Amino acid sequence: MPPLSIAVKSLRDQKWQIAGFGLALTAMAAMHVYIWPAYRDTLQNLKLPAAVEAFFGGDLSIATGAGFMSAEFFSWVPILLIVYAVIQGTGAIAGEESSGTMDLLLSQPLGRRALVLQKIAAACVGSVLIVAIGWLGFLVSVPFVDIDVALTDTAIASANMLPITLLFFSMSLWLGAVMPNRSTASGAVIGLATASYFINTLANGVEPLRHLRYGTPFYYYGAGLPLVDGIDWPHVGLLLAASLLLMLLTLRTFGQRDVTTGGATDLDAAGVLRRVLARSPGG
Amino acid sequence: MSAPAIEMRGVVKDYGRTHALRGIDLTVDAGRIFGFLGPNGAGKTTAIRLLLDLIRPNAGTARVLGFDSQRQSIDVRRRVGYMPGDLRLYDNMAGSDFLDLIDSFRPEKRDVRYRAELLDRLGLDTSRRIRALSKGNRQKLGIVQAMMHRPEVLILDEPTSGLDPLVQEEVAKLLEDAVRDGRTVFFSSHVLPEVERLSQSVAIIREGLIVAVEDIAKLKARSAHVLEVTFASAPPADLFALPGVRELRRDGNMVHLQARGGVDAVIKAMAGSGCKVVDLRTEQPSLEDVFLAYYAGSTDGRAPAGAQKEHTHAPA
Repeated sequence: MPPLSIAVKSLRDQKWQIAGFGLALTAMAAMHVYIWPAYRDTLQNLKLPAAVEAFFGGDLSIATGAGFMSAEFFSWVPILLIVYAVIQGTGAIAGEESSGTMDLLLSQPLGRRALVLQKIAAACVGSVLIVAIGWLGFLVSVPFVDIDVALTDTAIASANMLPITLLFFSMSLWLGAVMPNRSTASGAVIGLATASYFINTLANGVEPLRHLRYGTPFYYYGAGLPLVDGIDWPHVGLLLAASLLLMLLTLRTFGQRDVTTGGATDLDAAGVLRRVLARSPGG
Repeated sequence: MSAPAIEMRGVVKDYGRTHALRGIDLTVDAGRIFGFLGPNGAGKTTAIRLLLDLIRPNAGTARVLGFDSQRQSIDVRRRVGYMPGDLRLYDNMAGSDFLDLIDSFRPEKRDVRYRAELLDRLGLDTSRRIRALSKGNRQKLGIVQAMMHRPEVLILDEPTSGLDPLVQEEVAKLLEDAVRDGRTVFFSSHVLPEVERLSQSVAIIREGLIVAVEDIAKLKARSAHVLEVTFASAPPADLFALPGVRELRRDGNMVHLQARGGVDAVIKAMAGSGCKVVDLRTEQPSLEDVFLAYYAGSTDGRAPAGAQKEHTHAPA
């Protein structure tokens, strides 16, 4: 077993990110719980059109505590986690290459696979820490507010944000291994994440487009549904399987291709395709 | 019989349609300082990165201490200390933390005393963040991280670029000590005097091919010296009509000469002429001169004109 220096360094490098994203989640969670009683009365008398309700809360009524937390917190907070995932995912390979430090790491007796796995491990620990810190927001609010949401359910729904985070991390990792540099990889993932978020939201509210949502990770994530129904294991399994697939593709591609210094600036579409297909040597 | 420190056989590396290495054959015996000389873009960095499995060849094999660079890469890297030519470090780390990180990959070879000795001899303070270090001090840190675990083979890509002459001299001593210890040093350079000063043998690479492998003494003998002699009055026209000497031009009383195979004949001719010499300057033969010396004697008919042509595609 190689020393875990990469994982340790990686975690150390992201300590401020973990604290920052974690505390942002804490604040958001606590704030939304505390403002719930003020909104409740208004919302209970309000009959929203089905499409608008769907737009906000997916399958839950926004006039319930769970629905409100789903619409106001769990539906969009994964976006923050995805930002973290993109930073870590594209940083792991593309970032080290773009900054030129990959040569130094891989001239040590450390396999490429071990290096990537340690970076993955660090990101997993980081995500768990962020979500755990974020959940403290519920811990300091739910017991003191009249809201029909159980503290344990907030923990379950919080943990349910991890698989989709992992999926976008893996996507960033893989695109970081195939795209010419970190910024193109980040751009691609952010584009994909934004598109799938809006397609999912739109498909929730517009009946003819409803089937489109099955193509987006956000549908399988399910926003605040776990607050009521618990975890949807088949959906979680699907997200995790897709993540695993992208990780394996990354290991294959990065295991075969050349390491670059400062990014592969002259990599063209054909070069990207060669990397995707893991055709060695090249690019 | 022990395996050579480095062995490359028919190594070809293409980047798309450009040919960075066009069939490299090279053997570096263990226990020597071996220089790898060539202009920028000749393929030095490509060949070195290939030894460490950072890039993969299109054809051919590379071995370090008998281990295949690609299939036994971890075995290779366990025994090699490497300094990249394009040295990038973690700017936000303190120098000592960075060295600890590098040490962590070979915990069994951690040698705090030797590391301290290296830092002391190079005059490097590692308490500061790398961001705050000058180019020269970063370079020193690069050398220390490559040497501190006493690797069997040191592979250094342009190790002394950016260092002032005193430090260069100290680095030379460190490398000589390493070789005295039975280690092998393989370093690249595009500066001939540096290679002459440091190495015992040299391989010259040009446009992705090894054009010569020589002992340094022979290389020196083959390369031409350029002399600039100023006389008190115009010297006789045929003063330097000597074998191996070519008069390039005259500016009044100043004569520009090129002497192949040493300067002895030129000095003796001047002494024997009775003309008063006011000034005498010699220039180090440039890499270009060395190439010219080789191509003058090469039989494959390739023109030497492109000797300094840059390959912009290849990593510098």
